[in-house]
Amino acid sequence: MSRQMKKNLVAYSFILPNFLGFAVFTLGPVIFALILGFLEWDGNNPMVFVGLSNFKELFADSRFKIALWNTITYVIGTVPLTLVSALALAVVLNQKVKGRNFFRTVSFFPYVASLVAVAAVWNMIFNPANGPINMLLYKLGVSADHLPGWAADKHWAMITVILFSVWKNMGYYMVIYLAGLQGISGELYEAAGLDGANAWQKFKNITWPMLSPTTFFVIIMLTINSFKVYDQMYMITQGGPGTSTLVLVYHIYNVAFKNWDLGYASAISMVLFLLVLIVTIVQFKGEKKFVNY
Amino acid sequence: MRNKKFYALVLATTMVVASLAGCGSSKESTATTDTKESTTNESSETTDQASTSTDEEVTLTWALWDLEQTTYYQPLIDAYETANPNVKIKTLDLGSTDYMTVLATQLTGGDSTIDVATIKDIPGYATLVNKNQLEPLNDFITQNGIDTKAYSGITDQITIDNNLYALPFRSDFWVVYYNKALFDAAGVDYPTNDMTFAQYDELARKVSNDKAGTEKVYGAHYHTWRSAVQLFGILDGKNTIVDGAYDFLKPYYEMVLNEQKDGICQDYAALKTASLHYSAAFYQNQVAMMNMGTWFIPTLIKAIESGESQATEWGIVKYPHADGVEPGSTLATITSLAVSKASENKEAALDFVKFVTGEEGAAIIANTGTFPAIMTDQVINTISSIEGYPADDTSKVALHTANTYLEMPVHEKSSEIETILNDAHDNIMTGNITIEDGIKEMNEQVSAVLGK
Repeated sequence: MSRQMKKNLVAYSFILPNFLGFAVFTLGPVIFALILGFLEWDGNNPMVFVGLSNFKELFADSRFKIALWNTITYVIGTVPLTLVSALALAVVLNQKVKGRNFFRTVSFFPYVASLVAVAAVWNMIFNPANGPINMLLYKLGVSADHLPGWAADKHWAMITVILFSVWKNMGYYMVIYLAGLQGISGELYEAAGLDGANAWQKFKNITWPMLSPTTFFVIIMLTINSFKVYDQMYMITQGGPGTSTLVLVYHIYNVAFKNWDLGYASAISMVLFLLVLIVTIVQFKGEKKFVNY
Repeated sequence: MRNKKFYALVLATTMVVASLAGCGSSKESTATTDTKESTTNESSETTDQASTSTDEEVTLTWALWDLEQTTYYQPLIDAYETANPNVKIKTLDLGSTDYMTVLATQLTGGDSTIDVATIKDIPGYATLVNKNQLEPLNDFITQNGIDTKAYSGITDQITIDNNLYALPFRSDFWVVYYNKALFDAAGVDYPTNDMTFAQYDELARKVSNDKAGTEKVYGAHYHTWRSAVQLFGILDGKNTIVDGAYDFLKPYYEMVLNEQKDGICQDYAALKTASLHYSAAFYQNQVAMMNMGTWFIPTLIKAIESGESQATEWGIVKYPHADGVEPGSTLATITSLAVSKASENKEAALDFVKFVTGEEGAAIIANTGTFPAIMTDQVINTISSIEGYPADDTSKVALHTANTYLEMPVHEKSSEIETILNDAHDNIMTGNITIEDGIKEMNEQVSAVLGK
């Protein structure tokens, strides 16, 4: 055995445990789901090969179209909002402000807290009839007829869930940004200060470019996580009112575990997979232009 | 440079794949365990033949929900274990939220530990039968001389392709609960056992008031379930909920939406976002009438005893009826027991099912204030004479039904239809779409499902 080969074997043996887990719990199921997309199967009776009919069914399925559209709306609403709020929080809490540790903890708290509990609280706060938010809006002069119905109104339900997600997740991305910020050398700011740069110029020409790898990571993770959103909808709106917050994963869950149409559910998840893959590839392509070093 | 591109692509793919693992993995596990199940199926057949002697020690697992809150499980188990000392009944509480989904998932996972499964609703039942996971009971029924006539027609409603896959042990039906104190305070006569929908609506409006806060009285209360409003429409026996045409629902939606607009009942959207339980709504002493199933009777009695309910004087009347229809036509919800096909103790499991769904079981269930599926005058007397049940005659007469209709009839597509109807109900009740548009949505989408 050559030296190189031995070296490689050692390396593979380190990778193996992780890869085994990946193969058994991720790769295998994904390949199986891909195959299932061409079958009709309810989990118990024999599988029947149906060719492309599951994929053809997608075009006639009005709920799928609604879910697809809702998912895209959610991604477009959540990603930029979370990014901006996380960055703003990180920049502010990176300064030497009084009690910054306290505020960092406060911002991170929603991410740690149990989704079930905070969703229940969120529903109380945003209760259209007697929640504090609407009471406040009413006090501020919004007439009773124009108060938003939040989770109970089909026009506001998605916004409510998006706001919830932003609030819940921005703490996590703030921590990632804080790490990025602390990696920026103070000398750059000193030099810029000597050249007479103001705060905005420092941010625009130092912070933002130096953070670009972090931003890239945050965008990718946020996008992928937003495409597979499910739990928020389940807790806050159950996909409602009507179908106004029905997202793809929720639809997959209903088709798979309520109707037991596992083949069709797999076909939908393949569409979701392709969608996320395409978006992610586009983002990686954009990386070169965007990430500055 | 090329390499970097390649790695980026691989990285992107892995990230995406990992992100989808949640959807895929559960399916994989069902696949692997499926083979396991088919082997247990075979082995169960062999054990079936082996365990003809009844003296063997057997432990049966009974899948159910809300073990703590339900009063009849333990008495049933105790009685059966006393009569059959060689059998131990183990309970498996799967929780009431999504019970049928969890049960179906468990059974799909090849869980041969579940012997007896409680069937909570019809769509879930139809799904399990389609999935071929319940033991057909026809042979057993004939062999044991079980008289399905005792169930007064309920078993016909859950027969699929001439076969029964479950036997009912509870049969609840919907009635109108009313709060006597609120009627007294408003100086309005109590509701009666013979109300048309128009009279019911009028009464709800009369007993309501315009006060604010805790003084406010709502004439009626509709829980956020589809059944609470939509199914008024099927009580004349002319329509069913699985036909694909829903225009007959219009007058009932109009009645309830108008009540909602006029503050006669609480706002659906608010109830939904607050996830207010119907029992809590009634306990608050602000709801004069509430349509709900008879399963609420033992719960309400218990809540009054413990002081949880502020509403203490109550009565029951029959469901309101459409013009020209016999009073006492109402909705029925049945709860039944089935034996899992994967069970390794089918014989013992069937015997337990026979006990619970039979007359002995019915007597035990009735003693807890719950309606068994075998309904006799004796049972009605037992329930209406338990402590805490209202003493007036009207409340006793209210327990005699005329025609009962299942909340959801057995249908191959019932679970898909249910989802569509729920969404439309939600949309109509929150005022997101008009009644006409909601009905149109139901007509179109259900027809599409039926035509598939």
